[in-house]
Amino acid sequence: MVATDKQQASPLWTTTTSEVRLTGTWREAKPDYHVAPSPCHGACPVQGDIASWIQQVSRSEYYGAWLTLMENNPFPAIAGRICHHPCETACNRQQLDETVGICSLERFVGDMALTQSWALPAIKQDDDCSVAIVGGGPAGLSCAYQLRRRGFKVALYEARDQLGGLMRYGIPSYRLDRAILDAEIERIIDLGIDLHLEVELQDQAALKRLHKEYDAVYLATGASQSKNLPMLDYQQPWVLDSAAFLAAMSHGQNMLLGERILVIGGGSAAIDTARSARRLGKAVTILALEPEHLLPAQTIEVTEALEEGVEFVCGAMMQSTQVKDKGVQLHCVKVDFSAGAERGEFAIDVLTGSEFNLVADTVIPAIGQQVDMDRWAGLLAADQGLAQTDQGWQTSCRGIFAGGDMASMDRFVTHAVGMGKQAAQAISHYLRPHTEVAQVKTEKPVGFEAINSYYYPISKRQKQKQTELETRLDGFSEVQQALSDHGAMIEAGRCFSCGTCTYCDNCFYHCPDMAITKLATSEIDGSPNRAQSGPSRGIGYSIKSDYCKGCGLCVAECPTGSIIMREDTGCSTKQESCS
Amino acid sequence: MELIDYQDDGHFFSGHVACAGCVEALALRVILNTVGSDAMAVVAPSCSAVICGGYPASALKIPVFHTTLESAAASASGVKRGLVAQGKTETTVVALAGDGGTYDIGLQALSSAAERNEDILYICFDNEGYMNTGGQKSSSTPKSAVTGSTPAGKETSKKNMVEILAAHRIPYIATTSPGDLNDMAAKVEKAKAIRGTKVIIVLIPCLAGWGVVDDGAVKTARLAVDSGVFPLLEVFGGHDYVLNKTTKNQPINDYLKQQKRYRHMSVEQIASLQAEVDEQWQRIQKRVEVSSGFEA
Ligand SMILES: Cc1cc2nc3c(=O)[nH]c(=O)nc-3n(C[C@H](O)[C@H](O)[C@H](O)COP(=O)(O)OP(=O)(O)OC[C@H]3O[C@@H](n4cnc5c(N)ncnc54)[C@H](O)[C@@H]3O)c2cc1C
Ligand SMILES: Cc1ncc(C[n+]2csc(CCOP(=O)(O)OP(=O)(O)O)c2C)c(N)n1
Ligand code: SF4
Ligand code: SF4
Ligand code: SF4
Ligand SMILES: [Mg+2]
Repeated sequence: MVATDKQQASPLWTTTTSEVRLTGTWREAKPDYHVAPSPCHGACPVQGDIASWIQQVSRSEYYGAWLTLMENNPFPAIAGRICHHPCETACNRQQLDETVGICSLERFVGDMALTQSWALPAIKQDDDCSVAIVGGGPAGLSCAYQLRRRGFKVALYEARDQLGGLMRYGIPSYRLDRAILDAEIERIIDLGIDLHLEVELQDQAALKRLHKEYDAVYLATGASQSKNLPMLDYQQPWVLDSAAFLAAMSHGQNMLLGERILVIGGGSAAIDTARSARRLGKAVTILALEPEHLLPAQTIEVTEALEEGVEFVCGAMMQSTQVKDKGVQLHCVKVDFSAGAERGEFAIDVLTGSEFNLVADTVIPAIGQQVDMDRWAGLLAADQGLAQTDQGWQTSCRGIFAGGDMASMDRFVTHAVGMGKQAAQAISHYLRPHTEVAQVKTEKPVGFEAINSYYYPISKRQKQKQTELETRLDGFSEVQQALSDHGAMIEAGRCFSCGTCTYCDNCFYHCPDMAITKLATSEIDGSPNRAQSGPSRGIGYSIKSDYCKGCGLCVAECPTGSIIMREDTGCSTKQESCS
Repeated sequence: MELIDYQDDGHFFSGHVACAGCVEALALRVILNTVGSDAMAVVAPSCSAVICGGYPASALKIPVFHTTLESAAASASGVKRGLVAQGKTETTVVALAGDGGTYDIGLQALSSAAERNEDILYICFDNEGYMNTGGQKSSSTPKSAVTGSTPAGKETSKKNMVEILAAHRIPYIATTSPGDLNDMAAKVEKAKAIRGTKVIIVLIPCLAGWGVVDDGAVKTARLAVDSGVFPLLEVFGGHDYVLNKTTKNQPINDYLKQQKRYRHMSVEQIASLQAEVDEQWQRIQKRVEVSSGFEA
């Protein structure tokens, strides 16, 4: 006698199944599926949906992953190379072993899009409103991209003969290959941007004209003026501005004199100047106020500079110079450095009796850039040397928005990209108040305690290979090498997918009361661990109020923190669901 | 991440009266769905009997016979022989019993069924005490654990059921836990295909009896395995040992901390229990070393 369905259950002795008992009435709390922000998302300057696109990578849905990335950032291949990746600093996985290599995965997807020549979806509708963008750096390009995707007419004005801003005239090609830079910019221009190269907006009158001609203006002209050291005479032939040097380098032009180069500063610009000079065969010393561990440049940059033979003299400053027969002598002194509350703020104490000398043929100060706000005086208000903007990046002049280095001290490419995106949302809302609603995730990010780490065996981060030291100094080709396909797959698998359900079915299978329903199932299973013949996976779940006893096992066994227990008032029979 | 890979075909119904968060119900779900529809169950008085039954309703799709506490193995043998007499040789007969019904009161029946190598799949839900009657000690209760009848902690050690069964040289003995549902399903699947007496002991951290939080039994089961308190193993033919999880990487402290029944323990008592666990681990290692490496 073999029973095959409920009706036939044990017909000899029992008359019904246990389902007649609604054990859900025992419950005090009820699980609730929710999508919560991950800590990496919270830290990402472009507010990327990191958990989502990494999941797509781990399911080998590379094109989908790229589209998810492109929602917030048109430069995944660029960001994957040079982003300072605050997302990784925030990553939950570091509490288990090491942070997820988000940046290297982003590069992996970004590069794949370029090698496969993936195209963006066609722009759905065209809008009559037009926006002028001034400045073709990452902020301006990001804003242009986001506005064009929304159908607006976009005109881009750039002073130089090529686009990219400091991505081209600052960051050297050994960190960002020019073919990559060109290709990611071209993809934006191909969306149909009205391009005006070599047009420099001279003054506020020119800006006013644009304001009249277009429905809105976005200003992203960067921070173009070098800050000057008072004790250095910039008229001397042996003093060279780092911005000018790097810009010339990007055209293959060498402006260096002599063999001994002294770079002053500890940020990205100083390191890039030093490493470029090393590639020209020079002996290079960096003189920085900060002690080595507090240098504002990224740690990887400092490490690679050291590997390449750049000398660092940290925690010291130059006081005066003296021209000698064989070069310039710099009189220096050691200092006690303490960082201030805000980025860029600091205090120093000169250590008496610590005087020493350095000798160089060329001195290159690289101590930071400031914004030329005088140019817009009378039209735009300034605030502490930056363009004054409100929360929606609108300047003191209605209809003119600003962002990037000129409006913020967050001087990084992805911050510029994020600001460009936010400004595009604000401009879109300004032009079409009823269509654009800014989406902000207000929920608290998912913490490590919500992740069931049992499901993630210890696994070391996949490291990107570097070009061998011996060949690095021979030219300007890239130092960091991409992850292999296999490495990317492993790295993507390390992501906890904090707050984003992966449809793993763990909640379904761990319920002792069969109180979870799969809303729909998918026969297609991208998971690499999956047996070919396994059960079909859920794509969305709901809780059966009649039987859920509120034990919380589903929550405890969720590997991604995508379910939380909420108090159950008992009056609702509504099914909580996630799909 | 390894995904759970057994198929739930609805062989175990909602509305059963297990406590909220009970992993004995969770284990029943895995076992019944893996055993499938060509099966009959025999259940001895225990939590599982309460979960399965509650006249006139059943939580099981397959027929289930409620027997006495002494006789799960004997009743299962009888049911199997009856089926064979009817020509239904393929039908799996699964006996469900607690540790009281296995280590103590039903041991005689189990020993003789094993000696005859009856073709049954015997599942022991080992919650280390007589739990549905309020939590008295059994011979499976570990040293130092507090139960209703050992208020100061049990003085003697847990009986080693795997070794007793191995001495019967039955084809298959395994331990499993709700901390790894794939392991559980795989072992049931394996046992199903073997003829003769198969015994699977499932560790069941009991929420009420052990003092574990409602959502903590799966985690507790994992800690029992990771600390070596409850090693996941298989014994083939009573001789060949296979250790399924070969690392023991946690001190027992983390495991003990999950449970109120161990709360009173002194540092010395913990050290003594740890020594017992270490000694057991080494003994198993030696058995594994001398095994022929045979696996079904
Ligand atoms: C050497 C160096 C290395 C760096 N390395 C990194 C790094 O590794 N990672 C990172 O995240 N950030 C790095 N940065 C910082 C980063 O490059 C900048 O924060 C970012 O480029 C700022 O973007 P933006 O669009 O605001 O300005 P910019 O990139 O400066 O672009 C401004 C654009 O506006 C144009 N423009 C200016 N004035 C006018 C005008 N009047 N009319 C028309 N066009 C005008 C300029 O020609 C330029 O193209 C580095 C900076 C430097 C200098
Ligand atoms: C001979 C006999 N003595 C006592 C009982 C009462 N009784 C029913 S279930 C049970 C406890 C069984 O303990 P265990 O087998 O460990 O199952 P658990 O309740 O822990 O699941 C007892 C003592 C009985 N049914 N038969
Ligand atoms: S584990 Fe993944 S989702 Fe979570 S913080 Fe790290 S990268 Fe983001
Ligand atoms: S595991 Fe099941 S019974 Fe427990 S809270 Fe989740 S849905 Fe409810
Ligand atoms: S357990 Fe898996 S399927 Fe369930 S909510 Fe969490 S991630 Fe999604
Ligand atoms: Mg028991």
